[in-house]
Amino acid sequence: MKVLLIGHPNVGKSVFFNRLTGANVTESNYPGTTVDFTKGYMNIGGEDAELIDVPGTFSLDPKDKAEEVAVAMLHENKDVRVICVIDASKIERGVYLALEILEEGYPMVIALNMWDAAVDKNIRIDINNLQRILGVPVVPTVAISGEGIKELISRLKEAKPVEIDDIIKNAGGLT
Amino acid sequence: MEKKLSEMEYEEEGTITDIEGTLRKMVAGMGIRVGKRLKMITKQPVKGPVVVVVDEANTSLGLDVAEKIIVEMKS
Amino acid sequence: MKLTIDQRWDLIDKIAKQTVTFGEYRHTLKDAIGELTIKPFTGIPIAIAVMYAFWSIFGSFAGFFTDGFFVRLFDAYWLPWLQEVFPGQGGWLYAIMVDAGGIEGGEFVLSDNCLESFGVLTSGLFVAIGVVLPAIVIFYLMLALLEDIGYMPRLAVLIDTMLHKIGLHGYAIVPTILSLGCNVPGVTATRILETKKQRFIMMTLLAIFIPCGAQIGIMQDVIPGLMGWILLYLIIGYFIFGYILNKIVPGKAPEFLIDVPPYRRPMLSNIGKKVWGRIAGFFKVAIPFVLLGAAIVGVLYQLGVIRFLGDALAPVFVGWFGVPKETAGPLIAAFLRKDLAVAQLSVIEMTEYQMITAVVLVSIYFPCVATFAMMLKEGWKELLGAMAVLTVVVFAYGGLIHLIGILLGVA
Repeated sequence: MKVLLIGHPNVGKSVFFNRLTGANVTESNYPGTTVDFTKGYMNIGGEDAELIDVPGTFSLDPKDKAEEVAVAMLHENKDVRVICVIDASKIERGVYLALEILEEGYPMVIALNMWDAAVDKNIRIDINNLQRILGVPVVPTVAISGEGIKELISRLKEAKPVEIDDIIKNAGGLT
Repeated sequence: MEKKLSEMEYEEEGTITDIEGTLRKMVAGMGIRVGKRLKMITKQPVKGPVVVVVDEANTSLGLDVAEKIIVEMKS
Repeated sequence: MKLTIDQRWDLIDKIAKQTVTFGEYRHTLKDAIGELTIKPFTGIPIAIAVMYAFWSIFGSFAGFFTDGFFVRLFDAYWLPWLQEVFPGQGGWLYAIMVDAGGIEGGEFVLSDNCLESFGVLTSGLFVAIGVVLPAIVIFYLMLALLEDIGYMPRLAVLIDTMLHKIGLHGYAIVPTILSLGCNVPGVTATRILETKKQRFIMMTLLAIFIPCGAQIGIMQDVIPGLMGWILLYLIIGYFIFGYILNKIVPGKAPEFLIDVPPYRRPMLSNIGKKVWGRIAGFFKVAIPFVLLGAAIVGVLYQLGVIRFLGDALAPVFVGWFGVPKETAGPLIAAFLRKDLAVAQLSVIEMTEYQMITAVVLVSIYFPCVATFAMMLKEGWKELLGAMAVLTVVVFAYGGLIHLIGILLGVA
């Protein structure tokens, strides 16, 4: 199995990556560019999975070379699962990126990272309802302390492609 | 009253009413969109960039970008 | 199915209304500091203070280890021991590997320190380990700290106005500062700039005007008093030629648009990993090239090539740049390692102003071979362009510095 770690810059993606993978980590150039990405291996229920830390991006409409690479890496790996890392206190723009990836038919789990900071800011997120609407697993996490990481991994197998029409229906339709 | 984002003063707030065509796509991922509330926190001197808050996230935009965003001022 | 941007946001608004409630938001101390460091009135003085602190810590840390420990280790133990045990004193292999020595009163005498000995195992190792290692460690440690607490985007916003004048924008501060450690990752970091024009300007300016940590470390050690002037000339050159490049390079400078994340507590393990990765990467490049550089220059000296080049190019060196012709040797070494070149310059006899000119020349002349290779990877057209600019800059700026010296009456 191949897993891509995608998210905005500065949402703690690399901390996630370091927690999930063991010693066998390689850093390499994306072919034809000088953009670096890291690749490692993790264990999911006894099965070895390749984990790739994709350069941070705000959307699938790239603004610079690093974002271009992020998009290219997503597009050339059709048979992958995506862990979309979102800053829980900036959930709206995080969901924007998640929707873009879901629209392309990738199976996904969402990590609402920096959950503790969101709680401190009095932001309350109804996880169950969010899962129901999006149709993918949503797990609150604190990558720095490791909170939620186990659950995230165990739910990776629940990741499946979803129809955007279903999300729209679950959300009560578009205006 | 409507203003360009570039003309807003420090600490002013408002709601975005229009973003010029191609820019829309560029700023969408950063949470900047029509209908969103925004507050200006700083404006750098000598035509420097502005910094705005949208949904508790700070984003800095060059003055030439800020000119293409129209904001309805909070009265 | 794909949504349009407006549909997507419409959907997100619907989802957010049903799942997220925003409570009363209290401004925290972190937010307050965040604003203080980005508002120009307070932010610019703070930025200057941060840079000054960076600089002083860099200098005292590197000085402490180099002068307090490595100089003694190398000059009092390593050099005499090698001079003793290495066979064939006075021969060519001895001269290249250990000590080229000098002639005093018609007699061969050994050097008494690792800068003058010019040997691969003495000067080469001393420069790489004794001088450059402490400088690089502290540099990358502090840089990782600034990056991980989230200060860099704020610095980018503050300096955007200035960098706009040279066709770049605020984020160009990242490759610039990174290059002060080593130009190789600096060239890599130009990827964060959006257009070809920006990447070209940035890469060219980096390769020409930004001295790397190794070079700064050695300057700090051998010519601390002159370093201010050298850096001043380099910074002025960076802006002058940046301004000119911006006018003549076609293409556009794109808009500045960046996310400014909140400050956060850095994670020690993350910093450790980053610093270690950068130092390891640096030394994979540095050690072989320092040693190779010392060996090649040693061989060229022995063969008399350096003297020949010095004589042949004397009109250019003496007439145009106003430096002694002996600087030909270090300038050849500079292609392999600039730190080694500065070390070699420091023991050539010349006036202070000549030293300033010579070190500035070493900086702006060819990028070291590792940087060269990295630029080639980015594209040979860009590399050729950068080399053309470089040639013009070396002669124009080198001559200008000489002229300024003449006008000031010091050259």
